[in-house]
Amino acid sequence: MKLSIEDIAFTYPGGVEALRGVSINIRSGEAVAIVGENGAGKTTLVKHINGLLKPARGRVVVGDWDTREHGVARMAARVGFVFQNPDDQIVERTVGDEVAFGPRQLGQSAPMALANATAALEMVELAAESGTHPYDLTAPQRKLVTLASVLAMHTPIVIFDEPTMGQDAHGVALIGNIIESLKADRRTVIIITHDIDFCAAHFERVIAMADGCVLADGPATRVLARADLLATTNVEPPQLVRLAQAIGLPAFPLTVEGFVTALLEHHSKDK
Amino acid sequence: MSATYGLYVSKQTAIHRLHPLTKLTYVLTCLLIAWIVPGVWAPYIVLLVGIVPVALMAQVFPNVVQNTIKTTIPFAISLFIVQGLFWTGGTIIQQLGPFSLKEEGLLFAIRGTGRIIIAVSGFLLLSYATRSDELMLALSQKGLPSRISYVILSTLQIIPRFQHKANTILDAQRSRGLETEGSFLIRTRALLPLVFPLLLGSIVDIEERAIALEVRAFGRSGPKTSLLVLHDTNRQRLFRRLLILVSLGVIALRIYLWLAPRFAA
Amino acid sequence: MISLSDVTYHYPRSDSPALSNLSLEIPAGQFCAVIGANGSGKSTLCSALAGFVPHFYRGKLTGSVEVAGIDTAGSSLAELAGTVGLVFANPFNQITGARFTVREEVAFGLENLGVPLAEMEPRIDEVLAFVRLTDLADQSPYALSGGQQQRLAIASVLVMRPKILVLDEPTSQLDPIGSKEVFAVLRDLAATDEATVVLAEQKLEWVATFADRVLVLHKGKLVADGPPAEVLSSLTLTKYGLEPTRYTQAARAAQAAGWRTDETTLPVTLEQAVEFFR
Repeated sequence: MKLSIEDIAFTYPGGVEALRGVSINIRSGEAVAIVGENGAGKTTLVKHINGLLKPARGRVVVGDWDTREHGVARMAARVGFVFQNPDDQIVERTVGDEVAFGPRQLGQSAPMALANATAALEMVELAAESGTHPYDLTAPQRKLVTLASVLAMHTPIVIFDEPTMGQDAHGVALIGNIIESLKADRRTVIIITHDIDFCAAHFERVIAMADGCVLADGPATRVLARADLLATTNVEPPQLVRLAQAIGLPAFPLTVEGFVTALLEHHSKDK
Repeated sequence: MSATYGLYVSKQTAIHRLHPLTKLTYVLTCLLIAWIVPGVWAPYIVLLVGIVPVALMAQVFPNVVQNTIKTTIPFAISLFIVQGLFWTGGTIIQQLGPFSLKEEGLLFAIRGTGRIIIAVSGFLLLSYATRSDELMLALSQKGLPSRISYVILSTLQIIPRFQHKANTILDAQRSRGLETEGSFLIRTRALLPLVFPLLLGSIVDIEERAIALEVRAFGRSGPKTSLLVLHDTNRQRLFRRLLILVSLGVIALRIYLWLAPRFAA
Repeated sequence: MISLSDVTYHYPRSDSPALSNLSLEIPAGQFCAVIGANGSGKSTLCSALAGFVPHFYRGKLTGSVEVAGIDTAGSSLAELAGTVGLVFANPFNQITGARFTVREEVAFGLENLGVPLAEMEPRIDEVLAFVRLTDLADQSPYALSGGQQQRLAIASVLVMRPKILVLDEPTSQLDPIGSKEVFAVLRDLAATDEATVVLAEQKLEWVATFADRVLVLHKGKLVADGPPAEVLSSLTLTKYGLEPTRYTQAARAAQAAGWRTDETTLPVTLEQAVEFFR
C-alpha cells in the first residue's frame, strides 16, 4: 500500500514545533528506517501515519485514505503500530488474548483471530506462552508479545518504534528475521531506531531526521556513510562503516561480508 | 523548564517568606472559625477579613478567585437546588410551579456554600504561597513520619505522569482498532482495557521506585538532616500560639453555645 | 571487596535457579563488566550484590555474598544503603518524586544518612560536577533528558560514597547520545579507582573499551572470566547468546578469507580493529 506524506507540519499544544514541513513517499513493500536524536520528530512523524496525530498543514494519505478523514481505529486496518514501551500496549490477561486483541477489534472471527495470533506468536518464539499472564514474562519478552499482537493484524503497513531496545543478540536476530519475512511478503515496514547496526543490516532506505525536518533520505549505503551529517543529529555511522573509513577503504560496507569483500578488493589493487 | 512545586506560584512576598507552619495554622484557624461559629454569614466575613487580604498580599488573588469559583460552582448549584427547593417544612418565600423555595433551605445553602468557599480558597492560598516540600519538611520536624510526607509529595508529582501514561495507553489501543469515538457507551467500554495496564504498569514502577528509595537509605532509622532550611522567627512562633488560642477559644464558645440551652432547660 | 562463595538463588515459585553455584572475588577498585543473554542472571547478580536478593525479592539464597566485609544475608537493606549503590535501567523510576530540583534530588540520600548540612553542600557540588550536571542543578529532575536523568541517578548514589557501585544495564533505555553521556561518566569512574564498579551491560563495544575484567553468565552460571580482549573475542561467545562486535566478526571473516596480520588476538574495539587491518 502506497503512503504519501505531503509537506506536513505539526506543533504540540505546549508550543513545541515537532514537524516543520516533512514530505516522504513510501512505495508499497518498502523497508524504511528513521533515525535521529531524541526530539528530532521521529515519533511525531509516525503517529501521523496512523492518524494518532493530524497534521496542522499538509496531508498524509495511506492508500486512498486521507488520515484527516478516518478515525484511528479505522486506520488500524491499514497501519499496525508497535509502541516503544510494551507496558503501554498490553491490556489482556493472557499472552494469547493479547495477541488476538487487535485482530478481534478489526472484526475477525474468534477462530480466525486465534489462528493469526498463534502464527504471530510462533514468529516471536512465544507460542508456548499463549496461556501465560503477560506480566509473568520479562520486559523484553513482553516487547515481543506486542510485536506479535500487531503482526497478527496483517496490516499492509507496519510501524515499529525502537523494536530492538532491551533485546539481547537472540532477540535482535529474531526481530531481524521478522522484518525480513515482512519484506518478503511485500508489506511496508517502517521503524524508528537508535540501533544503527541493526538498521544497516536490514533496511535499504534510511531517513535521518533533525529538528522536525528530514535531514537525509536515501539508500542506506549513502545516508549511513555520511558521518558528518549524521553527527548533527547525534547518530554515529555503523561500526563497519566507521572501521572502513578509519582504515581508508573506499566503500561503505553494511554487512561483514561486504566489508571483507571491499577489504580484499582494495588490497589486491594495492599490490 | 525550571523546578515547579505543585500549585506553588513563585513570588517574592512577605507571605511567601513566612514559615510554612505559620501559613498552615492561619488557614486552619480561618477554616475552623468559618465552620463552627454560628451565623449564616460567618464564612463570608472570614473570607473578607481573613483570606482576601492575605491573598492580595501574596499576589495570588486572581488565581485564588478563579480556581475557587471553578471548584465551588458545582457544589453550590447542587446545594441550592437540593436544600432550597426540597427543604422539608419551613417558610415558603417563593412558589416555582410545583416547587416551593424555602427560607431555611436557602439560608442553609448560603452557609454551606460559604464553608466550601473557605475550605477551597484557604487550601489554594496555602498551596500558591507555600512550597509543598517546605510544608512537608516543617510537618516532619513536628513528627510527621517521613513515609507519609513522601507519599504526599510524590503523589503531587506523579499525577501528571499518570495522566500522560493513560493517554499513551489509550493511543496504543486505538492503534489496534479499539473504537473510542462515538456514544457514551462506546467511550466507557474503551476505557475499561486501560485499567489493567495502568495498574500493572504502576506496580512495576512502584517496585522499582521502592528499590531506588532503599538504595538511597530511605529505610534507615535514626536522625535525618535536610538540605532545605526553614526560617522561623520568635514573632511567628508567638503568632502561631495566638492562633491556637483563638481556635481553642472558638471551640470553647461553640461548646458553650451548644451546652447552655440544655443546662438552662 | 566483593566475595561470592557458592551462591545459588531461586526466585519465589521458581524451580530453576537464577544463580547457580556462583563463586567469585572482585578486588577493590576493579571495574568489572557482566555480560550474558537476557535471563542469564545479570540482573539477579546485581540485585544480590546490593542485597535486594534476597531481602526485597525473597526467594531462597544459599552460599554467601560478602560486600565490603558485610554478609548481605545477615544485614538489612538499610545497613547496606550507602555501602553498595545500585543504578538500574529505567532513569525515570529512580527519581524519588519527592524532591523538586536536581540538587535536592542528589541530597535525598545524604539527608537519610543524616549527613550535616555543611558537609552536604560540597559533596553535592563535587558529584554534580563529576557527572556534568552542575548547570542543571536548579532544574526539575523531570525536565531532564533520559541521559541526564541517568547521570542524576548515578550522582545520587555516588554522593553517598559507596564502596561498591553496581549498574544494571544503565544505558539500555537511552538514545545513543544519552548512552554516550553515561559512558563518559563510567569512563571517568573507571579512571578514579575510588569505587569498585560492577556493570551489567549488553553493548559489548563499550564493555571492551573500559572494563578491567569481563564475566560471562549463562543460565545463572559463570562460564567465562577474563580480560575483555580475551573474553570478547572468544569463539564461545555466540554459544552463550552473545554477539561479538562487528569488529571481531569482520576480523574473523577476513582471516577465513585469507587476511594475514601480525596481530595475535582478534580486535574487540575500533582502535584494535584499525591495528588489525593496518
